[in-house]
Amino acid sequence: MMKHLIYIFLLFPIAAFAQKQVSGQVIDIENQEPIIGASVYVSLTAVEQERSVVGGLTDIDGKFSFEVPEQAKNLIVSFTGYETQTIKIDQQTNDLKISLKLSVQMLDEIVTTGYQETTLRKATSSYVKVEAKDIKQVGVADVDQMLAGQLAGVWVQPTNGAPGAPAKIRIRGTATLNGSSDPLWVLDGIPLDGNQVPSDFTDKDNIDQLKTYPIAGINPDDIESITVLKDAAATSIYGARAANGVIVITTKTGEKGKNRININAATFITQRPDFSKLNLMNSSQKVDFELFLASRPDLDYQSERGEVARILNSLGEYDDLAEKGFSGLSPEAQAAINKLRTTNTNWGEELYRTTINQQYGLSMSGGNDKNVYYFSAGYYDEQAATIGAGKRRFNLTVKNTYSLNNYLKFGAALFGSQNKTYSYLRERDAITSPAAYVRNVNPYLGLRDENGDFIYDPDLTEISDVDLDYNVLEERQNTSNELIANSFKSIFNLDLRTNIGLRLSTQLGLQFDNERSEQFSDENSYFTRKFELRSKYTDSSGEDLFYLPKGGIIQNSNSNAFQYTWKTTANYGQLFFDRHDVDILIGTEFRERTNTDIDNKAFGFNPNTLTSIPITNDLVLTNSGFKQYQKFVAHDAFTSFFGTLSYIYSSKYSIYSSLRYDGSNLFGVNPKFRYLPIWSVAGAWTLSNESFFSSSYLDILKFRVSYGIQGNIDKTTSPFVIGTFNTESVLPGIEEEVIRTTGAPNADLRWEKTTSINLGFDLGLWGNRVFLTSDYYYRKSTDIIGFRSVPLESGFNFINTNWATISNRGFEIVLNTVNVSNKRFRWSTAFNISSNKSKVNQIEIREEEFTPSRKGYGADAVFAIKTDGVDSNGLPLFKKDGRTLTAVEFYNLAEGTDGSQLTREEHRNLYTYIGDAAPKFTGGLNNTFRYGPFDLQISANFSFKQLVRRLPSYNMTVTSPRLNYSTEILSAGEGSLPGLIGRKSRGFDTELVYRWFNSFDVGNTYDHFDIWIKEISYVRINSIRLGYNLPNQALKKLNISSARVFVEGRNLFVFGTKIENFFDPETYGSQYAQPIPRMISTGLKVSF
Amino acid sequence: MMKKMAQISWIIGVLMISCDDYLDIEPVGLVIPKSVEEYRSFLTAAYSFPKQHKILTTYRADEITLNGDELGVDQYQDIYTWNDLNPNLNTIDFPYAVFYTVIFYTNHVIQNEKEITGDQEDIDQLVGEAYALRALQYFDLVNLYGKPYDESNAISDEGVPIVTEYDSERRFAKESIEEVYKLIISDIEESEKRLNIEQQEIGFNYRFSLVAIKSFKARVFLFQKKWQQSIDLALEALAIKPDLMDLNVDESIMSSEYNSIESILALDLVVSLDIIQNAHVSDELITNYDQLEDKRFSNYFKENSDGNYSSKKGTLDNFKCTFRTAELYMILAESYARLGGDQNLNLSKGYLYQLLENRYTPAGLEAYKNRVEPLNADDLIQEILIERQREFALEGHRWNDLRRTTQKKITRLFDGTTYVLEQNDERYTLPFPQDAIINNPDL
Repeated sequence: MMKHLIYIFLLFPIAAFAQKQVSGQVIDIENQEPIIGASVYVSLTAVEQERSVVGGLTDIDGKFSFEVPEQAKNLIVSFTGYETQTIKIDQQTNDLKISLKLSVQMLDEIVTTGYQETTLRKATSSYVKVEAKDIKQVGVADVDQMLAGQLAGVWVQPTNGAPGAPAKIRIRGTATLNGSSDPLWVLDGIPLDGNQVPSDFTDKDNIDQLKTYPIAGINPDDIESITVLKDAAATSIYGARAANGVIVITTKTGEKGKNRININAATFITQRPDFSKLNLMNSSQKVDFELFLASRPDLDYQSERGEVARILNSLGEYDDLAEKGFSGLSPEAQAAINKLRTTNTNWGEELYRTTINQQYGLSMSGGNDKNVYYFSAGYYDEQAATIGAGKRRFNLTVKNTYSLNNYLKFGAALFGSQNKTYSYLRERDAITSPAAYVRNVNPYLGLRDENGDFIYDPDLTEISDVDLDYNVLEERQNTSNELIANSFKSIFNLDLRTNIGLRLSTQLGLQFDNERSEQFSDENSYFTRKFELRSKYTDSSGEDLFYLPKGGIIQNSNSNAFQYTWKTTANYGQLFFDRHDVDILIGTEFRERTNTDIDNKAFGFNPNTLTSIPITNDLVLTNSGFKQYQKFVAHDAFTSFFGTLSYIYSSKYSIYSSLRYDGSNLFGVNPKFRYLPIWSVAGAWTLSNESFFSSSYLDILKFRVSYGIQGNIDKTTSPFVIGTFNTESVLPGIEEEVIRTTGAPNADLRWEKTTSINLGFDLGLWGNRVFLTSDYYYRKSTDIIGFRSVPLESGFNFINTNWATISNRGFEIVLNTVNVSNKRFRWSTAFNISSNKSKVNQIEIREEEFTPSRKGYGADAVFAIKTDGVDSNGLPLFKKDGRTLTAVEFYNLAEGTDGSQLTREEHRNLYTYIGDAAPKFTGGLNNTFRYGPFDLQISANFSFKQLVRRLPSYNMTVTSPRLNYSTEILSAGEGSLPGLIGRKSRGFDTELVYRWFNSFDVGNTYDHFDIWIKEISYVRINSIRLGYNLPNQALKKLNISSARVFVEGRNLFVFGTKIENFFDPETYGSQYAQPIPRMISTGLKVSF
Repeated sequence: MMKKMAQISWIIGVLMISCDDYLDIEPVGLVIPKSVEEYRSFLTAAYSFPKQHKILTTYRADEITLNGDELGVDQYQDIYTWNDLNPNLNTIDFPYAVFYTVIFYTNHVIQNEKEITGDQEDIDQLVGEAYALRALQYFDLVNLYGKPYDESNAISDEGVPIVTEYDSERRFAKESIEEVYKLIISDIEESEKRLNIEQQEIGFNYRFSLVAIKSFKARVFLFQKKWQQSIDLALEALAIKPDLMDLNVDESIMSSEYNSIESILALDLVVSLDIIQNAHVSDELITNYDQLEDKRFSNYFKENSDGNYSSKKGTLDNFKCTFRTAELYMILAESYARLGGDQNLNLSKGYLYQLLENRYTPAGLEAYKNRVEPLNADDLIQEILIERQREFALEGHRWNDLRRTTQKKITRLFDGTTYVLEQNDERYTLPFPQDAIINNPDL
């Protein structure tokens, strides 16, 4: 063995001088067309797939020609989307004719896990990979949205239609009850850091907050492929952060050969959403509804509000309506009311729009033996359908790889981006969030009067009936809200590859993120007026005053984040005696990150002079909303040691094992938790390589099994008493520093541990015309950390403790087929479906909880109050144990008491389990057709049987004439919809029921009625794209190697459960969500 | 070979140590208290937790009348009508957890006395305050949720759980009232040993000082009916701070405010905005005053447009009050009167007049003296209790005074229904709040 090594070392420099010429042409085996840009390389080493530095790319005619060392035996020819071929060059060296075959599933294509490279043929773990070009869509800012329906076991759902809004991604269910469920994003081996996607995106504060997420700065055009690591064997190498799965992004690199230039340009039109989907009342309906309320003295909630009541009250005829009816009103009143019916402000057009947007990309790549490069620039500009919202991004990417000598390579990559996201500014109660406002504003309200002055909405008032004058146009004109995120990532690699299978590499990744946000509101804005209200005080003479100075309010925040990851690995891979394939990797990783956030506020701000006015009143000290400066600093460090071992015997039996120790700075944490071991083992049996099983039509049949353990600890819990600093004033005039504990000390906290098992198989048939992969998994997370209530005498309400066990099980099926393939026509289909079922095996609950425990049910279990229609007076009826009960019986309401006498346990027993909020099945179906120069791609994603709860469209006891409602309210009291009732409405015990729902139902059971819950299933055709490749002959004269034009329609159709009162099935129930954009785009892509 | 092994293990050792160094990051903004300055900030946090018990007991006692029509009255009506069995859901809970939160802080300071670094005098003062603050928590707790102290039954009467160190896993059973008082007295004595500041400066007078701990101890003895000890302690406190504010001279602030010369410890909130808005001062209290000659009347109350009176003691931090010198005089007057005998009665009246010459106009005081001078012991005690009612109106004393003395019958009309708290009614002791019972089955 040693002898061989010495020979190789000795021979190499000499061999470099002996050269021979190779040349040939690469063509597509089906249509015999030349393949342009295929890479042709010499294989020198024993490791078959390894690329050497000698070779090049095919030219415009698919031809290549270069010199190779004399002893070179094989040429490796590869091109994306085709199966790689190895050609012997020991005899014929010139005029080689190499035919490449299109591959469906690329068995031998290299898959990067971020630490290692492997191929599907060798893999023992569960992962799934897509090529960026297959999922690329125009008009989508970030790659996360493009993943919807593309990957089995990966559930991707948009949270909101706003540009730059993140997608909610769940890989194989939820393993935690209150932590983050985000997967880990990895860019070319470097884990990205950034904001977590909030788990509840229907929350008004999460949805309107401008934020950037880890992948927001990455140009989708730069991405080559995306690999999702799913089981423990695949993810454990990433350590504790990988508990929710890992998404590895591999970016494009340059290829040796002549300089190639790609230009693409696209325009996309975002359509104004179909406002009629909200089913809101029009002016005439709303006027009738107000007349109805006014004619019912029992429905007296805010009865003086709404334009009809104002007209009637101003003429002193309010009571006449109930007594004499509409015809009994004076002609003057009748005319004024009827005039309202004719004013129909089109709120859909005032708040939403159709926009024309653009995106451009330019890339250059090429290289020689010493250096390959890739450069790209991107511009993306999207104005959202919601007026005032949008996103603009610039990208610059530079990647260079230098071959310092035959063994040593140095790579440097820089990813720079600027992301500007802007949106409307709304006050903290979100009543002026356009999506919510448009549902509540009266259709007869105008925006400007005859003089062009703003008409303020008289029905938008604060709780205490304070009218602060809101007009949506004024607000839009006088406020702004934007976030500019500058992100700069760079990755440096040094790679030493020896001929003996030993490879040393070290990688340094740097990530700088700077986010600046600015929220400005002019003096003349509702936002400022509402803010001013918070500064109200009464002086000694009893006069109400405000300490907020006149002028605008400007709020700036600046956040800086820096992290570096430095990773070093040693890898040894060798094939012994043609059958023992051994691969060993050991490595270390160091990571450190710092975050600094600074929030500033200035009052009395003048945007012209840029001056502000300080607040001198002492009262401001006690109001946190006026805190002018705040700073937050965080600093963390991590070290890890890891290793993997893989052994494959005769390409039939493989075992793989990995182990990682993660250490982190844990301030005041029990030192025994400083290093966490995370490990996995996996094995595979490639049955198709057994001689007794091999067959000509069977490409591959492989069974895989893996097992692994991942751990996590709670960094906020310590055995010591840890405090945070604050200031407090106990007595007037003296501010003192205080230290408050962050939580109870707890020395006994155990790790959160997740055990996963994965069973799967891969089957390829008929030259990969059919490829099937299926996986079954079981994942159990024990000792999940959460809050547990403790006796108050301990000094705390809750402590962090190991309180729950959750398991997830499910299956994934991927089926890729080439249905038709001939010279002119090709049709291929990619289908995937997955199902996940979670179960809370163990959970401690709080005795005071209103809703039932999830124990024995899914982590997203939905419990509801079962209703059973309404009685003749519109009061809701309930179903319990097969019997129909009145509200009085159901809630055990009794006269003379305030509401219900139920204990909390009885209250919990009111609920019935009705299903799960996580979909039963999710997946996607992509069909690709190619006919000559035309190609057509249709992608769909689906989600079946998911329960979604929406906010009730009205509240039966507090229906106010000041608001507009969905037309659903017109059927209140019919069918299953509860009727509108007041304290004095007709019916038996109505007052008791009224009082319950109006004030004493503190558990909000009305919102939990089953009628507000819907089972949603949908299929969304997220993209239809038709492309045309211009004929090569015509382009040649222009020196263009290829050109393509396309049109694409995004989100044109959704089939499935009828969605009423909301725009989209994905955001059903969320009244603050912006609609998911429907787009038509057209574009051009040219390569030189 | 051995040498190589040694070299390798040395290298590995260095690597591991340097990794630990790499991970040793002292985060900004987080702290494990070590120095006396940090422990001071820690104890200041304990002082700063606001507590509502004095406000809420005012609703239970006889100083105010609740207006049934006001918004938000449902939060108080079941407290006001002593409906502890099935209060409505909006009823405000009496504080419980917050006392134990403060106890957690004080326990931590006390337990780490030896660990604290810094100036020994500062450490002594700090730990002394922690003992005092802990004693105050137990004193307030046992007087909310335990029966009034009665020497003959204190061993068997149930008090509250005692916690002197943190342990979330243990059970917390109720201790006898005797045990709780023992802890209070022992904490006060530990505190006396350590405190070295005689009186705190204005602004810092929420912190315990020698005069505060002695005032506190005098009150504890008063509640235990240990009259002589109560007198001794009150005199010790007065020796440090005898000041009284003369309302005939200065009416600009109230004697209960933190910056009055009478303030000894200004820690507890006594009045809330709600008391001012949804209740008015009871007729019983109003009619107790000599409206013309008693300067306190106009100093304490303002007349509303409807003819009722509301308290001028407000919700701002200015009105925080726990101990003030007037109480020392009242304690002396009461304790001497309780001891009985002519000489003691004269001493009692002497202290009463010393206080009241700062409250009544000279003419009023003359009339008062004429009325009080002939009183026998029982009547004098009665008069002193009424004087306490007048002096400490809406300062959170009344409920405890009723508990430890007559436990009289209170009758009140609310929303058309008459409610009665019988004499010696069990409801003079509060049940533990619901959240406490839910979390601790041993209550």
